[in-house]
Amino acid sequence: MTGSGQRILVIDDEPQIQRFLGPALEAAGYEPLKAESGQEGLRAIALWSPDAVVLDLGLPDMDGKQVLEKARAFYEGPIVILSARDREIEKIDALDKGADDYVEKPFGVGELLARLRVALRHAGKADTGPLQIKAGEVLIDLDKHKVSRSGAPVKLSPKEFDLLARLARAQGRLLTHKDLLTAIWGPAHAADTQYLRVFIGQLRQKLEAEPSAPRMILTEPGIGYRFEAD
Amino acid sequence: MSPGVGKTYEMLRAARRRKAEGGDVLIGVVETHGRRETEALLRGMEVLPRKPVEHRDRTLLEFDIDAALARKPALLLVDEYAHSNAPGSRHPKRWQDVAELLAAGIDVWTTLNVQHLESLVDVVLRITGVRQRETVPDSALSRADDIEVVDITPDELRRRLTEGKVYVPETARLAADNFFKVENLTALRELALRRAAQTVDDQLVAAMREKGVEGPWAAGERILVLVGDDAMAPALVRTGRRLSDMMMDSPWTVAHVEQPARRSDPGKVFEALKLAEQLGGTTVALTGEDLVGAVLDYARRNNVTQIVIGKSRDNRLKEITGRSLAAALLRRSRGAAIHIVTERAQEGPVHERKRLDLTTGWTGYLTGAAFVGAATLAAWGLDEVTARIDLSMIFLAAVLGAGVLYGLRPALAAATVAFLIYNFLFLEPRYSLAIGSPTDVLTLIVFWAVALATGGLAGRVRDQARAAQKRAAAVSTLLAASRTLSGAADKTVAARALSEQIAAAASGSALVLLPQGEEIIPVAGAPDLEPLDTAAMAAARWAWEKGEPAGAGTGTLPQTPWTFHPLEGVRARSGVAGVRAAGLQDGSRDRRLVTALLEQGAVALERAELAADAVEAETLRRADRFRSALLNSISHDLRTPLSTVLGASTTLIDYGKSMKAAVRDDLLVSIREEAERLSRYVGDLLDMTRLEGGALSVRAEPLDLRDVLNAGAERVKRRLGGRMLSRDYPDKLTLVQADAGLLEQAVVNILENAIAYSPEDAAIELAVYEDRGNVVLSIEDEGKGIPTEELERVFEKFRRMDEPTDRRKGAGLGLAIAKGFVEAMNGRIAAASPIHNGCGTRVLISLPKALETPHHLL
Repeated sequence: MTGSGQRILVIDDEPQIQRFLGPALEAAGYEPLKAESGQEGLRAIALWSPDAVVLDLGLPDMDGKQVLEKARAFYEGPIVILSARDREIEKIDALDKGADDYVEKPFGVGELLARLRVALRHAGKADTGPLQIKAGEVLIDLDKHKVSRSGAPVKLSPKEFDLLARLARAQGRLLTHKDLLTAIWGPAHAADTQYLRVFIGQLRQKLEAEPSAPRMILTEPGIGYRFEAD
Repeated sequence: MSPGVGKTYEMLRAARRRKAEGGDVLIGVVETHGRRETEALLRGMEVLPRKPVEHRDRTLLEFDIDAALARKPALLLVDEYAHSNAPGSRHPKRWQDVAELLAAGIDVWTTLNVQHLESLVDVVLRITGVRQRETVPDSALSRADDIEVVDITPDELRRRLTEGKVYVPETARLAADNFFKVENLTALRELALRRAAQTVDDQLVAAMREKGVEGPWAAGERILVLVGDDAMAPALVRTGRRLSDMMMDSPWTVAHVEQPARRSDPGKVFEALKLAEQLGGTTVALTGEDLVGAVLDYARRNNVTQIVIGKSRDNRLKEITGRSLAAALLRRSRGAAIHIVTERAQEGPVHERKRLDLTTGWTGYLTGAAFVGAATLAAWGLDEVTARIDLSMIFLAAVLGAGVLYGLRPALAAATVAFLIYNFLFLEPRYSLAIGSPTDVLTLIVFWAVALATGGLAGRVRDQARAAQKRAAAVSTLLAASRTLSGAADKTVAARALSEQIAAAASGSALVLLPQGEEIIPVAGAPDLEPLDTAAMAAARWAWEKGEPAGAGTGTLPQTPWTFHPLEGVRARSGVAGVRAAGLQDGSRDRRLVTALLEQGAVALERAELAADAVEAETLRRADRFRSALLNSISHDLRTPLSTVLGASTTLIDYGKSMKAAVRDDLLVSIREEAERLSRYVGDLLDMTRLEGGALSVRAEPLDLRDVLNAGAERVKRRLGGRMLSRDYPDKLTLVQADAGLLEQAVVNILENAIAYSPEDAAIELAVYEDRGNVVLSIEDEGKGIPTEELERVFEKFRRMDEPTDRRKGAGLGLAIAKGFVEAMNGRIAAASPIHNGCGTRVLISLPKALETPHHLL
């Protein structure tokens, strides 16, 4: 579980957070960098071009979402958001504005590092992702548009396959309702989350070992879905 | 009946007897006033300690109602019913404390001096010259199951006073001179005895009515005042009031009988009934064709002993023939005294001058002339054809027509013209107006008589029709107004309704001004809310401050076009209404309608205000209770985990190096656990604050309840310990319309509760099912369950059952938050327990189904 020296920039004005995140990242094999305000953070991203950014939404000088938007103009690496639990809308907003994932404050270090790993893995192979993805018994062949479960082919409708493929390509990254709806049904249906529920339900029926306790397609209620590959 | 008769003493003696019989008696509060005999009775009784209340650097010892409620004795003694509690107590008055105790199922004995009864304050003031400040409403007395009158003769009481048994000796002399006069005491004694008798009487009446026994039965007086729409009505109402005063405040009712066949003036009746209510009487409207029958029927059913009626002048004929109301009542009534009030000279009905003027413009005269012209032509023609015909008949027909259609004046005019033409053209000598024979004079007289008769008759018929129409309109306006006004929930709505109604009734403009701070400002107007000029504002302010009408048509500031009327409610002035209408004359029907509307409006405004006050007071009270519970909770639930974190971390810092690795790890784990607990608690507080502060925004979207349950289960996974989590979901499930975040939090809270209250190896089952309109999720645990009487209250804030098995118990907010969230999403939440083998709890959340997804999109 080593980070092999990847540089992680933490933008947070709370010295206490920096105080434990620094050593924790270091212990996990990353090289921590820190910035204590939005401006400083943007400069640090431009200057050092870190491998990933951890961004707190509550910053003293500017709104975290503004930092996110400005950073996205010139930075393509993964950005993981830190936010408080009762700001659900902000989280969705941040994800739609290009954040890769979020972690609720207060958080355990283990949780943050797991999210960071997913984000970094995805960033590493964004364009050339594997053509075959395996999750438990399920094998998805993105190239041939084929899905099998325990070796037996599973018949999916085109829309079901598109949805599954988009989720699988994200490889554990959280995809918002809006992202999925826009990609599969087009921008006009960006708010029709009930389509998603129905299709996700059908996919689970066809693919999950225990559809009532899914392990492959996970719901983040009110926000979106993530695909848990092996 | 009065201080010093020995009420407290009597009560204590009875209480001792009850205790000796094995009763559970607690003395809540007893004032002994230093009387030794009374104090002696307290010995050996259980006495509730008083609660010290700070008031203006004095400490008052007050009755401790909470302690009494907590102790919950079978019988509680609370002395001095009329006592006012120290400022800052829960209730301002002790009788309100007693009401709460009674509601909690505690029997209460209390004592009361008769002069403290609210309705007797004036009487007592007249008798003793002392105005009582501590009063008890009469309704608080009627709540008593039993009343025992503690009665001794005035002489005995005075003797006890001089012996120092009533007050400690130094004040006794002063008191004897002022208050304890024999005549005062006798009067108070009489009052007490009568009031007690009246309560007994009321109970008797209630009992009789229950058993359907016909009256009159009892000794107590009941007065019925019968009013009509004549000028005597107010005098009759006042007579009723005086009679009631004479008969020791006997209940009195003012009745009006609606006779379907006879239209009465609703304005006057309304005024009379209103007056009755102001004077403290009750009112009733009876209906029936048979006036006497309706009255006697009501009187019998309500045990009326005195009937008051008026005798007006205009039914002298009926009087002679024995058909007057009084005679009929006398003949047919049984057992009731009948009072006949004759009208005073100045109250005699002001006969409205019958308006002979029925001019309806020129149409009547012109048509009359046309009729006469036609008659002339016809007569001319007939005269040519046959000689022997009475041509006057044809002219008479013309007069008749004019009279029937256009009333008196056109008829008279037509009669005159017709006679002149008839005389000129057809009577000998022809072509001259000279009258040849006396029969011609008779013809003229007949013409006029016919004109008078038919014209007058037709006029009256039309007058009556018009009046009936107006009456009907007035009644429906009043009805509509009272409906809108009584439906108005806040003052602005009531003001708007009132202004519209007044403007319509007065056929003009109306404004309603309400107080805001020191000033009154126009808040509603019909047809428009127009700005007022300085003079009009001054008149409005005058009406507001002095409580009398000002502006046009009054003695104050009459130069403005507006007339402002104060809106006098039952308790206070609630605002001012302005009317601007040219055609509104004093005494007219419209005027009376406007007056009635103003009164209704005043009451409606007042009611709206009171309702708003009540809501505000309730909100404040709830906020207050919530705050204190919150403070309690914060001090406990924040401190406990904090002390663990602080203790464990300082231990590690100071002694960590010399500890075994396992111990160190355990301390670290405890820090993590306590921090997580703290985090949950802060989350709960935030949720609760959002709920309480009304800042909760619900983002409803179609949700799959299975997802929500799974997400919730995921979040509590680490705290499950050895508990088995099982799922029972259907394969297909209709979506619900709900907020994912809120619902997930509600599920998590219920799960945490289930974990905290169930043993380590128990199972927790999640299930979902649907009925016709809802999807229901169910969370079931195998804990020891909730006692049935607690079930209703598990969703209350800061409620927790003692000793949850999980030491990381919540603050008692979890279920309250779950309920708040679920209800904010239009869902319902309920708990059932026990569910099997006397244990286990099931919490159900039911949410409305979302609309089905259109099939073509799938």
